[in-house]
Amino acid sequence: MASTAPSVRGRGKRPRLLILTPDFPPAPGGIQVVAHRLATGLTGFATSVVAPDVAGAARFDAQSGVRTRRVRGGGALRGGRNALLNAASLAHAASFRPDVTLSAHIVTSPAAAAIRATTRARTVQYFHAEEIGAKPRLAAFAANHADLSIAVSAYTAGLVAATGATPPRLEVIGNGTDVPSDATPLRAERPTILTIARIEERYKGHDALVRALALVLSKVPDAQWVVIGDGSLRPGLEQLAGSYGVAAATHFLGALDDEQRNVWLRRADVLAMPSRLPAGGFAGEGFGIAYLEAGAYGKPVVAGNVGGALDAVRDGETGLLVDPLDSLALAEAITTLLRDRERARRLGEAGRAWALQHAWPRVVERVEAVLLEQLDSAATSALS
Amino acid sequence: MDIDGGHQPLCNEDGSVWAAFNGEIYNHAKLREDLRRRGHRFATNGDTEVLVHLYEEYGEAMVHALEGMFTFAIWDERARRLLLARDRFGEKPLFVHEHAGELLFASELTALLDVRPQLRELDADAIDAFFVFAYVPGPGTIVPGVRQLPPGHLLSWERDGAGVQERSWYSPPQRAVQRHESFASVAAEAKLLFEESVRTRLVADVPVGVFLSGGVDSTLVASVAARQSSQRLKTFTVGYDTGAVNETERARVVAARLGSEHHEVTLTQADVAARAPLVLSCLDQPLGDRAVLPLHALSEFARPRVTVALGGEGADELFGGYPRYRWLERARRVQATIPQAAISPLGGLLRHAARLPRAARASTRLAPTPVLERNVDWVTSERRHRREALYGPRLAGLDRGRVLRDVAARAGECNGGPAARWLMHLDQRHYLPDDVLVKTDRASMLVSLELRSVFLHAGLAELAGSLDTSLHLAGAGKALVHAMLGEGILPASRGGRYRKKAFRVPAAQWLRGPLAPAMRGQLEHGTIFEQGYFDRSAVGALVREHASSERDHSDQLWPILSLGLWADRFYGLDGS
Repeated sequence: MASTAPSVRGRGKRPRLLILTPDFPPAPGGIQVVAHRLATGLTGFATSVVAPDVAGAARFDAQSGVRTRRVRGGGALRGGRNALLNAASLAHAASFRPDVTLSAHIVTSPAAAAIRATTRARTVQYFHAEEIGAKPRLAAFAANHADLSIAVSAYTAGLVAATGATPPRLEVIGNGTDVPSDATPLRAERPTILTIARIEERYKGHDALVRALALVLSKVPDAQWVVIGDGSLRPGLEQLAGSYGVAAATHFLGALDDEQRNVWLRRADVLAMPSRLPAGGFAGEGFGIAYLEAGAYGKPVVAGNVGGALDAVRDGETGLLVDPLDSLALAEAITTLLRDRERARRLGEAGRAWALQHAWPRVVERVEAVLLEQLDSAATSALS
Repeated sequence: MDIDGGHQPLCNEDGSVWAAFNGEIYNHAKLREDLRRRGHRFATNGDTEVLVHLYEEYGEAMVHALEGMFTFAIWDERARRLLLARDRFGEKPLFVHEHAGELLFASELTALLDVRPQLRELDADAIDAFFVFAYVPGPGTIVPGVRQLPPGHLLSWERDGAGVQERSWYSPPQRAVQRHESFASVAAEAKLLFEESVRTRLVADVPVGVFLSGGVDSTLVASVAARQSSQRLKTFTVGYDTGAVNETERARVVAARLGSEHHEVTLTQADVAARAPLVLSCLDQPLGDRAVLPLHALSEFARPRVTVALGGEGADELFGGYPRYRWLERARRVQATIPQAAISPLGGLLRHAARLPRAARASTRLAPTPVLERNVDWVTSERRHRREALYGPRLAGLDRGRVLRDVAARAGECNGGPAARWLMHLDQRHYLPDDVLVKTDRASMLVSLELRSVFLHAGLAELAGSLDTSLHLAGAGKALVHAMLGEGILPASRGGRYRKKAFRVPAAQWLRGPLAPAMRGQLEHGTIFEQGYFDRSAVGALVREHASSERDHSDQLWPILSLGLWADRFYGLDGS
């Protein structure tokens, strides 16, 4: 197999790329988006995806045009879902015979390593953030058994290094964003702060926004906070908004489809998501695609001055970075952007330019370049 | 204008906003920097002026920007409006008197009484509540016509306006929500907030120490402070020369493991004899919490070495530290599952054996008593049942049910949730501000030491309030505090985790020894006996029985002695 890759390229056929991922649409989330944009965007490869079966998957796959092998079951046992996913990935690799395996999450790294050992396909491992803190030993294994590791931010690269891993090669390639066909601002009835994130992890900082909102409203009394996303912590946040007396200015909209979400991105004045670094080895925000998405709609952002947001937001240019536990600093940043329209516009415009630099096609281009480099180096080593 | 900011009230540049303040704003330096950036000019270095400018910037929402323990008053000359505020947990007091369109307020009750001497009389219902709880439950006070602004409340008053309006600005959520997150991630979040709280409280240009008992709360405080402090941490512990309980050895082991500069003081019996009359009579309101004496001794001992100390107050109430939460929850389940016909005879049998303390407690648990009453009896050593025998004619005609009705009103509805959660909530609103925080504030402020509690942090309290009670009560209780601390710092205890004993102060021995003369003095000429609040012969019999070591009546005698010493000073009969 070691000589297959160059010969495939030499014959003019596209090399085969196998993407292994526990997260893939139609399930929502950042890693799902990354895996999907790579699968659809890496046009220089013949791509196949192995991913878990989820509700609505059949219809999604029928329309996506990506060859996707769905894996059912395993959810009843702890780790069972991932074990089945790895087993199915190995079985699929035997017939698909990939030139490159891209493991989109460390939980698929055992299969990627096994494929590498048995077929000598090049292996690329993606790193986000939270999973490294949760499973540092598996993360180190994944980095050590991949020919190339891709970290979505400098922060994430640091997390990989902190596991003690010695990856043969580590590249930082930030996440991307879709460029909207229509980003024309819509007029909201009230000054609008928008947050888009699942309400499942505390590090996203919804609670800090509740505390800040009480101060924001003293300066901008008609402001509203629109929260898109759902999760088990939502009822607690609703209670908190009540106890801070800001419930009337807060709207929890739950999970929305892309179209509805994009309407709010056009309406909002500022996107606020003050992600913080959790303690205890948990990693928090690896990048924060939502910041780029807001930029794509010309909206300024307010983010925490830690973690992946440092790569996703340019402080003072595309948004304002503040101490995510400091409600006063948060309130001041939000208030500034709601009241100083000119400054908000300037940051939004810069955010749009920044987002265009990170449009998915450009990000995918960078990924494709490093994948092809891998194939070339495989060919070189096979010939030498 | 005073450059240090010590003189009050202070005003803004044009005299349109005035402020008077009591307490500590931990984030005052940051607030000052933010306000300067926004164009505010400062004439002093004090906290009070920060409040003036913060009010100009945010109006009454300013309270949400404050991290600290405080009460303050703002006078807005333009709006002709007064704003009073009290901190989130009630760490600092604020007393209010309204009469005929006039509003008087002060951070000390005695200051109000100096202005309105006609208010200087005792409220019989408050004395009744004091005897039951050993503290004066808010928002009332020991004086009729004077009340306290509750914790986390604002009061506004407009001249020629709508009069007084009061509203809550802070109340942590009390309903648990179903979560998907792991215990480890909750503990990590709690640790993050705890570390943030220590960091904020360590911001002081003065030496900082930690009051270390060797229990899990103060050990956690000390371990995080030791890591964050730029200087070697100083730790302080108090011990006794009598009684079976001494925490000094545990604290010493913890201090050695943390590498702190450790100091111990012994509260001797001779010291108690001198200290008790001084401390108990100097409080704004009577306080029957016996721990006020060692805390005062410890504060006085620490004061020459540090000006700020960190403590672990509030951890038990917020994180489920009292064993009774678990026991009363179990008792309620037992009541719900075992037929009452079976429980009653068993309870009766145990009552016959009730001279044994454990049997008495088991009997109480089995009795068909509502959980709130059970809880009151537990924390008050059933003093409400002793009132008939001990009260004098001045307290004879009182409505005896009022104490329970008032506490029920403070507790609110249980709403079908766990009893333990309800009781934790009650303690946060009742016992914590009216006993624990009164004790820490007065004991430390009498010697000008600032005692800052790390657990009383908004985010931390909100996190604790949103979690299932079962999570808090797992293991031996305070599961999150143990998880934040981790292994290896607390000394191992026989039979598992170190269990805090309800009373670590040797009050029974003190009442037989160094405080026996003070108790005798009370019986002979104390105001509370002279004025007929308590029955001299009934209390005298109790004192004699206690002195002979036949029975331990310190649970009843300590509140009476505390009240007596305090009342003598209140009426100026102590020679002061």
